[in-house]
Amino acid sequence: MTETLLRAAAVARRYGALEALAPTDLDLNGGETVALVGPNGAGKSTLLAILAGSLQPSSGRVETAARTGWVPQRPAHYGRLTARENLELFARLEGVADPHSAAAGLLARFDLPPDQPSGELSVGNRQRLNVALALLGEPRILLLDEPTASLDPAQRRRVWEVVDDVRVGGGAVCFATQNIEELHHADRVVALQHGRIVGSSAEEVFG
Amino acid sequence: MAAVWLLLRKDLRVLARSPLLLAALLAYPVVIAVLVGLVAGYASSKPRVAYVDEDHVPPVVQVAGHRFHIQTVIDEVSQNVTLVRMSPAEARRELADGKVVATITIPPGFLEKLASTVQSPSLVLRTTSGGLAPRVTQQMQALVYQLNRKLQDAFVAADLRYVTLILHGGSTTVFGKRYDVLGLDAMNRELAALPPSERVGKLRQFAAFARLALTQTGSALKATANPIGLEQPKTKGRTWALSAQVQAYGIALTVTFLALLLAAGAAAAERDEGTIGRLGRGLVSLGRIVWAKVALAALAALALGAVIAVVFGIVVEAGGVTGGEPWSRLPLLLAGVALAGGVVGAAGTALGALAREARTASLVAVLVVLPVVFLGLVPRGVAAPAYWISDALPFVHAVRFFAAALFATHPWRTVGIETAWLAGIGAVLGVLARLGMRRLAA
Repeated sequence: MTETLLRAAAVARRYGALEALAPTDLDLNGGETVALVGPNGAGKSTLLAILAGSLQPSSGRVETAARTGWVPQRPAHYGRLTARENLELFARLEGVADPHSAAAGLLARFDLPPDQPSGELSVGNRQRLNVALALLGEPRILLLDEPTASLDPAQRRRVWEVVDDVRVGGGAVCFATQNIEELHHADRVVALQHGRIVGSSAEEVFG
Repeated sequence: MAAVWLLLRKDLRVLARSPLLLAALLAYPVVIAVLVGLVAGYASSKPRVAYVDEDHVPPVVQVAGHRFHIQTVIDEVSQNVTLVRMSPAEARRELADGKVVATITIPPGFLEKLASTVQSPSLVLRTTSGGLAPRVTQQMQALVYQLNRKLQDAFVAADLRYVTLILHGGSTTVFGKRYDVLGLDAMNRELAALPPSERVGKLRQFAAFARLALTQTGSALKATANPIGLEQPKTKGRTWALSAQVQAYGIALTVTFLALLLAAGAAAAERDEGTIGRLGRGLVSLGRIVWAKVALAALAALALGAVIAVVFGIVVEAGGVTGGEPWSRLPLLLAGVALAGGVVGAAGTALGALAREARTASLVAVLVVLPVVFLGLVPRGVAAPAYWISDALPFVHAVRFFAAALFATHPWRTVGIETAWLAGIGAVLGVLARLGMRRLAA
């Protein structure tokens, strides 16, 4: 029997009169990769941010049974700090036992220049650092918002390897994408449009 | 508190790697402080007053037997105003245009009345109805007081000539007619030559009493002219530039500027860099993010405030200037600087959170900081509402705290009151910052 690692019950988000996300239920199970697909403004990023705990839902609740890693759509790190310093800072904030080793391991794994201010990194390297930050503390739940949008094919492959590592290790992965070719990485597809789940295949939103 | 410390250390590291920002944050308040100093200096400079002579007073006049060089007398007495000689029409126009703050007119017949020594002529003062009018009136009253003091000796000497005449006798001319006066001395001699009788005795007694009283007249006249004198011994006190207010304002201005901009920029940068979302998902509470920004502002204020206080102390020490406690009260001052920095930091965090973008936050902070500072410079008597508004802001309380810490003989009451004010304002601003941070994270 598969273990449910994350359960979202009727989560919704409103910005004044605008309903960014209608009440939505979603479970993420161990060993499963879920793709959120839909056009711009469908509510994918809002749902992922709520699942990650970065955005408070207007209603509903999220329960998690494991540590969560989050890759926001836009790289989120301090541009004046180096990649190493960013990783060590967030490792400490995550409560990682050995921040120095954890940072060193991720720098090597993602082939990141350790001592260059992250604001001066290439777009691809910044996105890789963004993904690396999500892996601090070895999360069992990984949430990724269009993680390969600015990466070259080799870098994309490395990201999917990371995703597979988490899934194979019994974790749950949920990623948002507009790229139909990436859906083959998913075990399950959730199609969103106008802030609502409208089906379980890309055809339902892209035709 | 580990998370607060980690964020604070991160912000300090970011600040250290932004040399241009750091230099601007340090230089800007110093420039502003100098400009405020210049403005304050201008405010204490001599106002320009038109001097209109409708009586055509000659360069040298004689009053009660004393010669006065008019320009020298004016130079000596006009310590607080600059008198500029003008025609009546010119003076009226310049007063209307605001080029002079007042006109003082010597009306026709002034000198004649003055020379008579029995009438008091008047000068005519006209001022605008602006905020400077009361100050100019006071300064002109001081000028007339100084003039009267100059004339007083001549008037007393003139009056004493008549007393001397009554005492010792002699000749004098009054309204062009010559008189020979017997005098009390001669009267005594005449009475002594008369056969003694009760009536002669009464006259001699009166003459003796009158003589005694008149010999005191000189001192009595001087005392009447000046019941209370004012002595001004030379002391090596603080100059305007080293005054308590300037030092307190300088530090408060620098702290306010630095803390507000720094906290606003640091708070907004968390959104600019997208890290507020990463931090806000359980790593650090929004309240602790606010505390980290408040601590950053307090620490930066403390560092800069300490540098200014030490430099000021060294200047005061090197100049051998008396007054104030630049060294023994330094810890108290720095405690106030850190507190004020933190309170202003809370305001900055709220601004940064509301602005949501670092450049906008910096611009808003600059726009906010100057009115806050200038409101604190408005004296209560000039605009009471401005004074009340400034009471609700941290700047003026920081100034009072710093001034008391450095210069008050018994600072604790003021320090206690201002600490309570700052803590109260800080609590309100902290709540606003926390609410703003929630909006920033949304």
